[in-house]
Amino acid sequence: MDLDPRQYENLAINDNDIHKIVMSYLIHNCYKESVESFIACTGTKQRVDYLEDMDKRKRIFHFALEGNALKAIELTEQLAQDILENNKDLQFDLLSLHFVELVCSRKCTEALEFAQTKLSPFGKEHKYMEKLEDFMALLAYKEPEKSPMFHLLSLEYRQQVADSLNRAILAHLNLPSYTAMEKLIQQATIVRQCLSQEAGKDGPPPFSLKDFLKS
Amino acid sequence: MGGVEDEEPALKRMKLSSKGLVGLSNGSSSKESIVGLSSDLMARPLPSKGDEQVVGSKGVIKREEFVRIIAKALYSLGYRKSGAHLEEESGIPLHSPGVNLFMQQILDGNWDDSVATLHRIGLADESVVRSASFLILEQKFFEFLNGEKVMEALKTLRMEIAPLCINSSRIRELSSFIVSSNPQLDNAVRLRSRSKLLEELQKLLPPTVMIPEKRLEHLVEQALILQREACPFHNSLDKEMSLYLDHHCGKDQIPSRTLQILEAHDDEVWFVQFSHNGKYLASASNDQTAIIWEVGTNGRLSVKHRLSGHQKPVSSVSWSPNDQELLTCGVEESIRRWDVSTGKCLQIYEKPGAGLVSCTWFPCGKYILCGLNDKSICMWDLDGKEVDSWKGQKTLKISDLEITDCGEEILSICKANTVMLFNRETKDERFIEECQTITSFSLSKDNKFLLVNLLDQEIHLWNIESNPKIVGKYKGHKRARFIIRSCFGGLKQAFIASGSEDSQVYIWHRSSEELIEALPGHSGAVNCVSWNPANPHMLASASDDRTIRIWGLNCLHKKYQNVHSNGGGIHYCNGGT
Repeated sequence: MDLDPRQYENLAINDNDIHKIVMSYLIHNCYKESVESFIACTGTKQRVDYLEDMDKRKRIFHFALEGNALKAIELTEQLAQDILENNKDLQFDLLSLHFVELVCSRKCTEALEFAQTKLSPFGKEHKYMEKLEDFMALLAYKEPEKSPMFHLLSLEYRQQVADSLNRAILAHLNLPSYTAMEKLIQQATIVRQCLSQEAGKDGPPPFSLKDFLKS
Repeated sequence: MGGVEDEEPALKRMKLSSKGLVGLSNGSSSKESIVGLSSDLMARPLPSKGDEQVVGSKGVIKREEFVRIIAKALYSLGYRKSGAHLEEESGIPLHSPGVNLFMQQILDGNWDDSVATLHRIGLADESVVRSASFLILEQKFFEFLNGEKVMEALKTLRMEIAPLCINSSRIRELSSFIVSSNPQLDNAVRLRSRSKLLEELQKLLPPTVMIPEKRLEHLVEQALILQREACPFHNSLDKEMSLYLDHHCGKDQIPSRTLQILEAHDDEVWFVQFSHNGKYLASASNDQTAIIWEVGTNGRLSVKHRLSGHQKPVSSVSWSPNDQELLTCGVEESIRRWDVSTGKCLQIYEKPGAGLVSCTWFPCGKYILCGLNDKSICMWDLDGKEVDSWKGQKTLKISDLEITDCGEEILSICKANTVMLFNRETKDERFIEECQTITSFSLSKDNKFLLVNLLDQEIHLWNIESNPKIVGKYKGHKRARFIIRSCFGGLKQAFIASGSEDSQVYIWHRSSEELIEALPGHSGAVNCVSWNPANPHMLASASDDRTIRIWGLNCLHKKYQNVHSNGGGIHYCNGGT
């Protein structure tokens, strides 16, 4: 959809709003030094408590990313008892990360015991059944990397779980779980989608950030 | 053997004897078969190993296969000694020694050895070997779990089962069994017996290696079923098929002889119908009455009740779904509902200003449907309250009225040459259009077919399942002035019967459209026929000669049946119920 470029010029964006967007991104991802330097450069006001928990969050996030789920769980519980209690899905995902670690280190007996004690209670609920079976299947293979469930051992999966954990902690601290940047891009994409659905073939193409930034 | 002519007889004898030898020698394993035979029949080596050794006149049965399935049948019947003896005497072993070893190892639970033997049996197809190994190792896995040897089970899964690289969804399941919460209970259910495992393996392995269970029985059953299907006049309920003779029903299974003449009406009999359970017959007559007849245990009918009350001729009757009540329809008059056991009239249904012309019960037995002479159709509950009605050109003055067993579709003749199938719920209408005027129709028991009588003396069979189409035509009977009715009948409704104006009852074979019988006897047009739903050997016909005839089997044709006589009068017999 080719809009009149003058329409863009007529819309002024407040600098403060831009600063908030950048800060929200930096804080979400625990880039502490970048936050401090950004505050120094722009003079943006920031509440002090945002920074306190960022260190803890950063450590938790990295433990989860590495696959050290037990440590991540321990620190999360220190931070706030009920985050995991209220979020069973997350708890399951973290425990399963530990299970995967054991399997990858070829500690079969330990993995089996861990699964029997910690993971199989989840199996009583139907929604965890399939996920549980996926993980259990890893036990059957001498080389789990070559099994049909190899994606469960990947970095992408650990990233996914670490992200969920991060969001849960942010929510607990009454901070936004999604960065403003993400939300803006999502908004633009969805609006484009709606427009093209209504306009049919003549409507605008799907939103592409890359193309947009080039234009 | 030079100088042949003089020695021809001798040559022939030698040929005969060598034929006799072919059956005896069998490669390497027979040790004792030749002892005791006279010297001219001493075996010479077989002409060539490539010769097919066949049995049977058609030359299609291989001796080795035949003997092996007989041996298998002997073993499964429990005759182990006979089976072993047969293997020995014929020199044809049921299973190769490798297979015997394999079977024993399975039953002993000797898993690793059995997998090794499996590889040595010599199966051509790799995937079969793998699938069979999978089954065997699965059994090993479950037996470990059942004995609470979880780590061994896990090891079997990881080291032996998963590397087979087949059936990954089953591997998934097996993993989850290891972790499952209630091992004792679950495994008891999952673990199959070793003989069951052997059966499963038998199905997997090619039949030449391991003969399938009950193969001989299966072949014999196949032959019997084919005989039954090929039997053109198959109409016998209980007749046991024997292995001694090929099964073949002749026309002697079709009712063709008058067993009884029922004289109780004072005028033309227009309609007859057996009840659903075949215990009663209802007849309707121009003499303004209907009669309920009872079918006795000896197969003879007697009057149960005479239903009087109509002031007009009774054109048709309809049995309630449970056969306890009967509807009778007076022509353009009223419909009466009668109790079958007492003969009392329970209810009269009338519509002021219109005459009722046809009636039928609702499948649930709680409502009745009636056609009126103003061309509409009405639905009443048993007390006479009108529940629904369909106006417009729905039925004709002279029309049958039927409803499908699910209560969904109503059938009636809406125009001279059209039968309408009207769906009560969706209000959809389907039509069967003929190029001739339709005089009557009859719905098959399975509601999938409609038999339609036409003015021009043809009867058409329509398949009404989705798009109606003609699937059969029957000719030969006569119709000129009157309504003639036809019906389905016999075992599985394999026959079509009809009345005719030439006073005969006509019977056709439904699928081949062949006219099987034209039965004389009546002295007036035969208006209606009804085949007893519970007795495929009993047919009733109603005629203008004021009588109803009951037709049954002609016992003189039956060679093996006992004939019961009844002290003079008509001889009858019951066809074996």
